[in-house]
Amino acid sequence: MKRLTVLLLALLALALIPATGAFAAPAEKVITIGVDQEAVGLDPHIVTAFSSHRRLDLLYNRLVRIDDSMAIVSDLAESWDNPTNTVYVFHLRKGVKFHNGREMTSDDVVYSLNRVLDPKTASPGRSYIATVTAIEAVDKYTVKLTLSGPLPSLLDGLSSNNLAIVAKEVVEANGNLQKVEAGTGPFMLKEWVADNSMTLVKNPNYFEKGAPAVDKVIFRVIPEQASLLAGVRSGELDMATINDGAIIRQAAKDAKVTVMSKPGLNMRIFSFNTSRKPFDDVRVRQAVSLALDAPEILTIAEFGMGKVTGPLPIAATKWALAPSSLPFTGPDVEQAKGLLAKAGFPNGFTVKITCSSTYEGGLAVAQVAQDELKKIGIKAELEVVEWGVYIDKWVKRDFDTMIELRGGSPEPDRFLYRTFHSTGGVNNFLFKDAAVDGLLESGRSQTSYADRKVTYDKLQYLLSDRAPAVFLYCPNENQVLSKRLSGFKLVGNGSLYYLTSTDVKP
Amino acid sequence: MGRYIAKRLLSLIPVLFGVSVIVFFLVRLIPGSALQMYMGTQVEASPAQMEELKRIFGEDRPVPVLYLEWLGRLLQGDFGVSLRTGRPVLPDIASRLPLSLELTLMALFLALLIGIPQGIFASLGRRPFWDLANRVIGLLGLSLPQFWLAALMVLAFSGFRGWIPMGNFVSFAANPLRNIQMLLLPSLAIGIGLAAVIMRYTRNSMLEVLQMDYIRTARAKGLTRRVVILRHALKNAILPVITVAGFNTGYLLGGAIVIEEVFALPGMGRLALYAIYQRDYPVIQGIVLVIATLFVLVNLLTDLIYALVDPRIRLDSGGKH
Amino acid sequence: MPATRLAKNSIALAGLAIVALYLLAILVSLVWLPFDPVKIDAEHLLEAPSLASGHLFGTDEFGRDILSRIMKGSLVSLVISISATALGSVVGIFMGIWAGYLGGRWDHWIMRLADVLFSFPSLLLAIFVMAVLGERTYNVVFAIGIVYIPQFARISRGAILTIKPAEFVKAARSSGAGSAYILFRHLLPNILVPIIVQISLSLSVAILLESSLSFLGLGVQPPYPSWGNMLSSARKVMVIAPWTAVYPGLAIVFLVLGFNLLGDGLRDILDPRLKNVK
Repeated sequence: MKRLTVLLLALLALALIPATGAFAAPAEKVITIGVDQEAVGLDPHIVTAFSSHRRLDLLYNRLVRIDDSMAIVSDLAESWDNPTNTVYVFHLRKGVKFHNGREMTSDDVVYSLNRVLDPKTASPGRSYIATVTAIEAVDKYTVKLTLSGPLPSLLDGLSSNNLAIVAKEVVEANGNLQKVEAGTGPFMLKEWVADNSMTLVKNPNYFEKGAPAVDKVIFRVIPEQASLLAGVRSGELDMATINDGAIIRQAAKDAKVTVMSKPGLNMRIFSFNTSRKPFDDVRVRQAVSLALDAPEILTIAEFGMGKVTGPLPIAATKWALAPSSLPFTGPDVEQAKGLLAKAGFPNGFTVKITCSSTYEGGLAVAQVAQDELKKIGIKAELEVVEWGVYIDKWVKRDFDTMIELRGGSPEPDRFLYRTFHSTGGVNNFLFKDAAVDGLLESGRSQTSYADRKVTYDKLQYLLSDRAPAVFLYCPNENQVLSKRLSGFKLVGNGSLYYLTSTDVKP
Repeated sequence: MGRYIAKRLLSLIPVLFGVSVIVFFLVRLIPGSALQMYMGTQVEASPAQMEELKRIFGEDRPVPVLYLEWLGRLLQGDFGVSLRTGRPVLPDIASRLPLSLELTLMALFLALLIGIPQGIFASLGRRPFWDLANRVIGLLGLSLPQFWLAALMVLAFSGFRGWIPMGNFVSFAANPLRNIQMLLLPSLAIGIGLAAVIMRYTRNSMLEVLQMDYIRTARAKGLTRRVVILRHALKNAILPVITVAGFNTGYLLGGAIVIEEVFALPGMGRLALYAIYQRDYPVIQGIVLVIATLFVLVNLLTDLIYALVDPRIRLDSGGKH
Repeated sequence: MPATRLAKNSIALAGLAIVALYLLAILVSLVWLPFDPVKIDAEHLLEAPSLASGHLFGTDEFGRDILSRIMKGSLVSLVISISATALGSVVGIFMGIWAGYLGGRWDHWIMRLADVLFSFPSLLLAIFVMAVLGERTYNVVFAIGIVYIPQFARISRGAILTIKPAEFVKAARSSGAGSAYILFRHLLPNILVPIIVQISLSLSVAILLESSLSFLGLGVQPPYPSWGNMLSSARKVMVIAPWTAVYPGLAIVFLVLGFNLLGDGLRDILDPRLKNVK
């Protein structure tokens, strides 16, 4: 026993010696980034997980991308023409090499988009380009897309990682791209230890000259948000993606780290099942909309890290109207009570709020909403379910009201059409309104910004008035960085694309 | 002995069969399906696409048929493919298993290291105050919620490099010291509760043994107290302790689930947790079968050690005498 | 006599005192709480414990009083712990005694069933049961109870097996006593000690399991407070407001400690073989 104790003490003592070696080779520039979730797969055409997309930002290119001002800019396509509103011609960059050394050409674009369109691929990106009827390689560096009807959100859709351009031979050799990669992106996959770390190395042939600035990017999976911050503070991490308001608040007070934060495209909403009583009555929905105090919810649920919004994400500045200029944005308890009384509920009613304890599930939002609804006599019961059950209820539209986090987009058509059109794929409000449908359809067929702006302004008023959901706020997208880093920019859709231009001081 | 082991190994088959049936049907009773989890709330799909997806996710056929198909492949050593990542299940589990086992063994080791001496000390009862303090401290260890302790540890130690894994976990083979350093706090968080259990059983069983006639005889013969305690009493008192340690391996493995999550350790527990959240049926089924097999083997091992230490127990009796 | 022995056993007394304190807190909480435990107060988010504000244990991220929530949550924790242990012990002891006493085929099949249940790590089994049944407070009782069944079955079977060959049992049997009589008159009292130890352990483990389940979001559901779900939500804010995690954690630790002290002390008192030990 005594000998064992001595041995253990010796081991302990040895363990106390800081490990060396990990910090050797000073010539190499490495960015170590902490994230709270592991990627679930790497096939750009298949994955849906946010965490996977953050790796794909660096491994692949798309025809176009979104920059930090949320404008569509050139990626693999150097330029594009739009001769009619149903034809797009893309002119590709010349000399772009896949990571296996082969040149990327128009055939690869045709192959990739067709792979997405093939129902067997089961790609979530299919709906973004579902109206594309023909994809042709005009010549080695030109691709022509023909659409069955106008789709102003096409470019926005093409900027998604789900429409990344991949090398056919790698797909065919491996069946899919979940574990391997076949991209042209600034970094290449070197090593992946699931739930631990992923190492990417610089693509020496990247088409953008001088980029990337560093040799390696290492992703480390650390689920505890507090540990992420501690990691950046201790220098073990150079950067961390943190979404928890409390931790960001703490980080902002810390002179050792830099906090970058701006409202993202995700949107917190309070959804109604408009097919269920009493939410089939627009006055009841308006009353709830007036009762909910978005700034208070934002303060409590996100520690103020976000911005209140209307039906379009407030970060999409080209389109979004400020919530203060829209109808039925509360709080106004008296007016809400009046509406409830007119709808036949002078004493309120009992209702369920479905939510989940994951971040997306909005448990904190539900608790504040429950409290606020009390003020107008509505007795809300929380139905807090495990995330899988939440999805099940979402898919089956089995809820009275629900707290949701919706992924918005900088382009109004893509987000609003699928969300609020009576035939929209993610219209789980079961919301049917002829006027809304009409505006959505005309927004889709119009081409000039001025015309579309008028249409979408009208639509934002109408959606606030009809209230299929209460639009609350857009949570901030946050990165905590070590002072050694420079050149990083937030995009607003969570993308880590700008790690390409990020440099690190030794 | 050989016949006994063979018999026990044979009895593993119905247990594993039972486990496989329960887990297969149970996971499919959980609301929400793998396909729904994959689609999430943001993805649109046409009806035709949904049909294709259902086929891919195996949601187009009845569960008993799926079970038989799965069982058929399983008997050929094919655990299937993860619905989330498309990777084969078995290699993924195999790469996660060593960490969980190491964590469990370290926790068991720490528990025995703390619990047995503490239990012996508590059984002697020579200094009433210290005996009492010792017992209360032991019981306090048992009363700490593992995840709470773990979270406090992470909070306290995350400023110090090397103690909390930061997605830079290394295997024992790659760097044994670094590996043990990173597993020390997590295994302590898991093992501290068991240490108290072991302390309690050691104490109780020592108290019983110390009253036995042969111990009194030994003392009367003039053997020193130390010799009597360590050589005679402990040897007999250790039996129930072994059982309890073996029997708590499941508890340790279960503890590993939350602890791996809090400490961000890439082990099997965390894989299991995410697989349940994501309804990744093949992964859950694979992990549960692997754990169940391990568990039955540990129990067998416990019984064998028991028999080795105590010749009075005959293994072949099968409950009859 | 056990009462006087209880009075002399400081460990059991300490345990009893702690448990009684919680019972008192529960009684008080039924009629009075310092603050409304579910009322959100945007003016007092994450306030540190202070006498001046009246929030002795501080407030959580919704501005709710932590002491009030702990008091409110003690009822649900205790009820879950007792019911789950009752469920698991009654079913498990019955299975174990039956298997151990009858032996043969009964023993074989009952213990195989227990083996199957036992081969799931307890938390994993509880997670499964919760996931299937849905997150309702009473389902936590089932989830934990099911985990306990094989444990009680094994312990009682083991105890029966060691005692069955004993002389007094043989004597009873040869004198023509019936199975039921032997079971209850001779066997049950003699296996009570390991069972009582296991019951006290189970009461405390149930509280820990409930808090683990709630911590993973599968237990008692907010806004109704339970110690586990308080800790679960504290996990995010504990860096800036440690009191949100420390006090509910201590509430768990002390009640569990109370049960453990009580169980340990009771064992000293009840075990006939330990009469000479002080």
